[in-house]
Amino acid sequence: MAGESGSGKSSLARVLAGLIPDFYGGRFGGKVYFQGREMRGMDRRKLARQVGMVFQDPEKQLVMTGVEAEIAFGLENLGLPQKEMFRRVAEVLSFLGLTELRQEFTSGLSGGQKQKLALAAVLAMQPQVLVLDEPTSQLDPVAAEDFFNLIKRLNEELGFTIVLIEQRLERCFHLADRVVFMEGGRIVQDDVPVQAVRWAVRSGKALVPPVARLFSVLEFPSPPVTVKEGRRQLRQSFSVRPVSDEPDSRKIPTSTSTDRSPLLEIKNLWFTYANGREALQDINLRVNPGEFVAILGENGAGKSTLLKNMAGLLRPGRGKVLIKESDINKKRERYPGRLAAYLSQNPNDYLFQDTVEDELLFTLKNFGMEDNGIVDDLLEELQLSCHRRINPRDLSSGERQRVALASVLVTGPELLLLDEPTRGLDYHLKAGLGIFLAERAAAGASVVLTTHDVEFAAEYAPRVVMMFAGRIVSDGTRHEILGQSVFYSTQIGKLCRGLCDGILTFDEAVEKIRPLLSSQTVTRTGTEK
Amino acid sequence: MLDKLFYKEKGLFLQSLHPLAALAYLGTLLVLALVFTNPLYLLGILLVVVLAIRASDGLEAWESYLKIALFMMVMIMLINPLVSPAGSTIIWQGPRIPVFGRPTVSLEAICYGAAMGVRLLSIISIFCLYNLVVHPDKALNLFSRFAGKSVLVISLATRMFPAMVRELENIRGVQWLRGVDFSKGSAREKVRKYSSLVNILLLSSLEGSLETAESMQARAFGSGPRTCFSRNRWRSRDTLFLSGSACALGAGLWGLFNGFGSFTFYPRLDYLISGPGTVALLLIVLFSLSVPVLIGWGCERWPYLNSKI
Repeated sequence: MAGESGSGKSSLARVLAGLIPDFYGGRFGGKVYFQGREMRGMDRRKLARQVGMVFQDPEKQLVMTGVEAEIAFGLENLGLPQKEMFRRVAEVLSFLGLTELRQEFTSGLSGGQKQKLALAAVLAMQPQVLVLDEPTSQLDPVAAEDFFNLIKRLNEELGFTIVLIEQRLERCFHLADRVVFMEGGRIVQDDVPVQAVRWAVRSGKALVPPVARLFSVLEFPSPPVTVKEGRRQLRQSFSVRPVSDEPDSRKIPTSTSTDRSPLLEIKNLWFTYANGREALQDINLRVNPGEFVAILGENGAGKSTLLKNMAGLLRPGRGKVLIKESDINKKRERYPGRLAAYLSQNPNDYLFQDTVEDELLFTLKNFGMEDNGIVDDLLEELQLSCHRRINPRDLSSGERQRVALASVLVTGPELLLLDEPTRGLDYHLKAGLGIFLAERAAAGASVVLTTHDVEFAAEYAPRVVMMFAGRIVSDGTRHEILGQSVFYSTQIGKLCRGLCDGILTFDEAVEKIRPLLSSQTVTRTGTEK
Repeated sequence: MLDKLFYKEKGLFLQSLHPLAALAYLGTLLVLALVFTNPLYLLGILLVVVLAIRASDGLEAWESYLKIALFMMVMIMLINPLVSPAGSTIIWQGPRIPVFGRPTVSLEAICYGAAMGVRLLSIISIFCLYNLVVHPDKALNLFSRFAGKSVLVISLATRMFPAMVRELENIRGVQWLRGVDFSKGSAREKVRKYSSLVNILLLSSLEGSLETAESMQARAFGSGPRTCFSRNRWRSRDTLFLSGSACALGAGLWGLFNGFGSFTFYPRLDYLISGPGTVALLLIVLFSLSVPVLIGWGCERWPYLNSKI
């Protein structure tokens, strides 16, 4: 199931799981049937044995302190005898590969492991239908991949019925037998993936994987949904082997000019946590005004730690952090918050005032600054003017993030630091954020953000830095880093690698391949389905 | 540092006990530490507890508890002599103070302070041993048969605690970057600043609790009577423990009724050893209590023993 945020997908999932209307209350009409019987009249225990649901945030789903106890929680609720519980717990643990974690505390597990545990807890109740509400949105790509493979196994080997709500369609589109699009609370399309892609492109929706969208826009008769199929079609299409382009030398606005001093400079930074873990080793980085930098790397590479050092939240063991040539850790009164705006991973950490306007005024008051119209301008820019007098806790997660961002931008900082801002956002919200940040960078501010989302980085960040195990591994333009990499690349990049170089984003692909089509070096293959 | 104080599964002998046996043992230690007043007995109990901590590889964690305990011990030893008027061997007499009269420091009061300090150290060390040896979930599950909902609430709270501590740190950092300076301002302003942190945590927790409740509802919570999942088995080592504890408790209480474990400090210090009976009882009690330590040591030396009990 796909759709923008607010389209009603989560509500529909909860209807299928039986949570609406009993848990939430509200007004409803119509009926829901499971195997011919009406769900509302079903005994709750029977229902839980038929339909299981896994939610978005692994942290909030877990109830007990131990792994085995968590899996047994649902079984205890069903009133099963001891032997039966023991058997089911053992089976589920070995199926999902969680046996080594048997004795662990849940607080010590990683995000991916927690989500697996939540899935295990639901599977132990042996349902026939599994409803999953954006289960990988809070996970890093590796854990997400792992999770999808599990779901695929459940469907193919064990015959589970799976209803999956997902934003990152490129990962799971090819697994689906049916795709349902929702908009404004209604189902607008319900079809096999190929037809769904055609419909989406016709209606101008961006909710399909980039590969499918590309082939559809280029009017190929049967758009593929996987990279493998796409490459096959491309290879067949090129009648003349195209000359591979030089790696795109679209450099970022020159930063080597000596009259511009760097806005942010990090020299020989080493950082070790209190428990002895060495998180950053010998970091050297320069960011000039107007640059937009994306920091990529796996979990534990040190991206968030580096960002916190830049913001002044953490003090480095060795080395210096200089913002506008002055060491932020040397001053007796350190107020880096005025020069640098930091948006943490959880925007809820910012919100506690009664209205959105008050949040912005709070920051201004703390710094002793006057409101000279900046509040109005910011609210306008971030499309929050209509929510001005609303309690920020009443807003959706995308809007909350914008409120948190506005509350740190009121001081007019020149350096923006964002920690994984794209987590859990849908395509349109991500585009909105990317455009906003790019505009800020064009106006002279510097933007540094960490992300797992390679597609986002390729689209909006001209400069990319890769980190691994606390060190900076590579630092250059997005084409140098992402275009040359085999593993860290966008879906379009993986599609075109070796066939037509220098392509990373959807627009570049259309730009480069369309003229080749019209010049007859490429013919459209595939048959009309 | 903080995680050294909490339970960690190390596969030790003492951690493999049934929680009931472990709790009985610790309970016995606690009761005996509270009822005995003879300094020799108190020292003996302290020795047993320290040996047990050593057997469970917890001397590092014990050091943190030791710091707190020593501080309190010193306070007791300083304050008790100054305020206690009983005691006949007066060492020092202070100047006249208007309301309190002449404070006197007597030998008995110092000895009493020392003995109470040792008792305090024993009790704190027993709690340290509890943290090292008893898996919190297992102990809690003992009660879930008759207090199911309370046990669940405690489990939930224990699970959420570390996450909340981390979140509080994050919130603090974020607020600091927004210009809230926690080191400035009057006491009242500081309280207000810290309370805003707690406010944010509260709001986020309330929202999170709805999601947790949803997850519990989806797993049929509240749909009927619950059973209890327990992986504890009663083994011969648990019987040994229980009998050892029972023996020690019985002997100790019998001895107390017959005057062996007690000791009077005021007005004159009693004899430490009032006869062979005192020593005999002490040895019996200590031996029964050191059964776990001895067995644990034995199990590590001889795998044969480990497989037999």
